[in-house]
Amino acid sequence: MSTPAAILTEGLAKSYGAVVALAGLDLAIEAGQFFALLGRNGSGKTTTLQLLSTLLRPSAGRAWVAGNDILSAPLAVRRHIGMVFQEPALDRNLTAMENLRFAGALSGHNARTVRERASALLQLFGLTDARDTPVGALSGGMRRALDIARGISHRPRILLLDEPTIGLDVQNRRAIWQHLGRLRSEEGTTLLLTTHHLEEAAGCDRVAFMSRGRLIGQGSPNELVGALGEYVLEVETESPAETASHLRPRFGEPLVEGERLLFRVAGGAVSLDHLTHELRAHARAIRLRRPDLNDVYLWIHRDPPDDHPEGGVGPEGAAGAS
Amino acid sequence: MRRAIAAIVARDLKRMLRQRGRLVSSMVRPLIWLFVIGTGFQGMLEGLGRGGYQRFLVPGLLSMVVLFGSLLASLSMIYDKESGVMRMLIIAPLPRAVVLLARTLGATLIGICQALLLMLILFALGYLGVPRDPALCALGLAAQALVCASLGTLIAVFSKALEDFAVIMNFVIFPVFFLSGALYPIEHLPDVLKAVALANPFSYGVDLLKHALGPEALFDPDFSVGKDLLAMLTFVVLALAVACRRFSQAPVFESLTRAFTAPKRH
Repeated sequence: MSTPAAILTEGLAKSYGAVVALAGLDLAIEAGQFFALLGRNGSGKTTTLQLLSTLLRPSAGRAWVAGNDILSAPLAVRRHIGMVFQEPALDRNLTAMENLRFAGALSGHNARTVRERASALLQLFGLTDARDTPVGALSGGMRRALDIARGISHRPRILLLDEPTIGLDVQNRRAIWQHLGRLRSEEGTTLLLTTHHLEEAAGCDRVAFMSRGRLIGQGSPNELVGALGEYVLEVETESPAETASHLRPRFGEPLVEGERLLFRVAGGAVSLDHLTHELRAHARAIRLRRPDLNDVYLWIHRDPPDDHPEGGVGPEGAAGAS
Repeated sequence: MRRAIAAIVARDLKRMLRQRGRLVSSMVRPLIWLFVIGTGFQGMLEGLGRGGYQRFLVPGLLSMVVLFGSLLASLSMIYDKESGVMRMLIIAPLPRAVVLLARTLGATLIGICQALLLMLILFALGYLGVPRDPALCALGLAAQALVCASLGTLIAVFSKALEDFAVIMNFVIFPVFFLSGALYPIEHLPDVLKAVALANPFSYGVDLLKHALGPEALFDPDFSVGKDLLAMLTFVVLALAVACRRFSQAPVFESLTRAFTAPKRH
């Protein structure tokens, strides 16, 4: 079967004995999209990438990558994808350049193509000076950048990245995202990545939230954030239960995060002055702010939908404000 | 695919050349045997009226270098769980069997290179003359290296517990080496040990090198050249067929995938 989608899955599932890692995933990712899978550890994100890259065999369901069936045409799938694991797939004893040339050769490209491509990639990722440095001597950020360069050394149409910024400091995280942005604009690569850093995913075309091996919501970050509500009212209090019951009649059921209560509210519905005065005995801080993907994440985990309609984020009553 | 195989093999050889310390120590090991064990036994045998034990040891020592070089090189593919290279290999657009066979080929060449280096050293020290049959000697080294590399590959695809070097030393390397005719002729062994030695493919490589290296050996070879080659070829074909089949099976490959790709915190 051939399909215009870069990645398509139908009821894709994986279990290890009684342990279900992925429970029927339906996903469609268009060519050229920047797509993020979000979720806690063990939600099935990594399993999804490993199934799509043919490193695992599904227990049920089907999937096509660049139009190739992951079960019947694994080699064609691997030819069209690049994969960046959480741990680098690099030889520590070889230099940056040698690693890229090795990776290129593994994909069957001739020496000249491989050399030219490797030089271009080192430049694209700002690694030209590290060209002849053994990987073991590179910093974590440079190594990750090199690993991503390695992942695209054979010009794959689709790049899968498992937590590309994990373990990196803020500066290096930003640099990696810049590289990914450039990759997409300059090479038109389809990017599918998993991440914990929700603020980073805000720049994606589409995000999907996973929990316990299921998709619990997806959409563009703007859509999802917009659907949540105009504002989030955040109350920090020493007595969350009491404060919650006090405010519930006006603002609905709050999301409780330790001593923080979060309410989804419309802009005109709250008078901060009034509220500050009213809660002065309980509240340590009161904030009214725009929602972000973090809020979407929190609400979607609290109220996972029974089925998962496009862009459906949670209970009704969310005022569109994007 | 040809380019990929060449790249895998070239990488293995490059690594061997860069790890000079390891290369030197792999030369020191057989020399210690030659000078310590060899001298001791030589003295004892001379007392009994026979000499030349150190020369008898030479085919065995060449085989020893091949055993350590090739077997450990092909084993390393699995037991090095920190290996980023394995991640590169499993995601490459290559059939699983090709990855396995290319690594086996690389390990074979490593063993051959190390054996040739030891031959030069032994030649310089006067323990080795020009081989009686150079072509047979080359064939013998290649076949012995391929046997050892295939054995390593076979163990690697079946091993879960064999990640400990000491376990491999005790249960693979020592028995294979001691029960092979490398240190003493097989014909004088008691029946049980003799049966083990006859089932040991490494024995036939040692024997083939005895044929090739010359007339000076203290003891005659145990088998014919044809039998040596047939036994080794049979083992290599069987071992690699089983290894490739097993490596391509989903459960084995998946446990490997998970070991190599799973984040450390899980």
